[in-house]
Amino acid sequence: MNSMNNTINEIKAALKPLKMETPAFRQIAVVVKPDTVHNALSYLKQKGFTQLSIVTCVDWIKESEFELVYILFSWTEGIHIQLRARIDRDKPVMVTATDIFPGAQYYEREVHEFFGVEFTGNEDAAKPLFLEIWDDLPPLRKDFDPQAYSDSKFPMRERGNEFVSEIGGHDDE
Amino acid sequence: MVLDEKDNRNVWEKIGDYFSANSIWMKWYCTGCGAIELPPTMTSRYDMERLGMGPMATPRQADVLLITGYLSTKTLRRVIYSYEQMNSPRFIVAFGSCTINGGIYYDSYATIGRLDKYLPVDLYIAGCMPRPEVVMNGFNELIKMIKKGQAKGWKHYQENYEWYKKNQLDSLGEVIIKDEFHE
Repeated sequence: MNSMNNTINEIKAALKPLKMETPAFRQIAVVVKPDTVHNALSYLKQKGFTQLSIVTCVDWIKESEFELVYILFSWTEGIHIQLRARIDRDKPVMVTATDIFPGAQYYEREVHEFFGVEFTGNEDAAKPLFLEIWDDLPPLRKDFDPQAYSDSKFPMRERGNEFVSEIGGHDDE
Repeated sequence: MVLDEKDNRNVWEKIGDYFSANSIWMKWYCTGCGAIELPPTMTSRYDMERLGMGPMATPRQADVLLITGYLSTKTLRRVIYSYEQMNSPRFIVAFGSCTINGGIYYDSYATIGRLDKYLPVDLYIAGCMPRPEVVMNGFNELIKMIKKGQAKGWKHYQENYEWYKKNQLDSLGEVIIKDEFHE
């Protein structure tokens, strides 16, 4: 537990977070300003948090903000750390983490595809990853209406009298 | 697809249908859910080989394309590719409720609503999930349909190719597969 407290104090001193909490055993959640995310990630990596588990995004539509979430893990300490930063929803731009964690490439492409966040310094971030030939708003934004998109693209079965006659008209054997 | 009940096969087609009904090779397209129902169907518990059915490795050698579960637009492009590689007579068995009306993914931006708008489905096995008993029952039904010459989806696809192609293009944009792993 001591090493945990030491880590918390060190991180607090180095990152100067807006908010810091320990939601569960050996887990730390840190909220930082978006322009310090890149520094924070490189600091945490040289602190031993060498595994970037995920980069994802939360759409806070009422506050008009996106929240980027980075989850890191330290194999030496056994501590998870969650780094969060809020960016403007209308012009979502974040500095890429691929120069620190090359594996962030796919997460950033995913976040770009599903939320439309631009990652400066990552040339491949705009390449399509899961969706092929996408022609609408990024689909995981809260203002995207999946039902309307689905109705316009994928017609459903018309339900009329033929459904009843299908049941009634089955006289096999 | 409305089945034409009239049997206008000639004698050679009848013989061909009789033999193909008794020796069915299946390609399973199991990228949706439901693939787990097929190992018990195939192995000793239900043993579909007693109906003369067996799994096949590639669509070019298969008679039946079994499509399980939901289909995303991305998967549907690959399914259409696989189907068009198959030799006639070829049959599609759609498995699970997602192939009928989208199932629980009815409002998804990524999965299609109904499969028979894009490919001719000969037989639906409804359920979420259909258990192996139902799958066996469905295969039995398919064999009967082939023997009677009622499984005419592939002919329907040839005759209404423009209609199917138009639906495919309307929903998918284009059917050609382009991704970075195939370049």
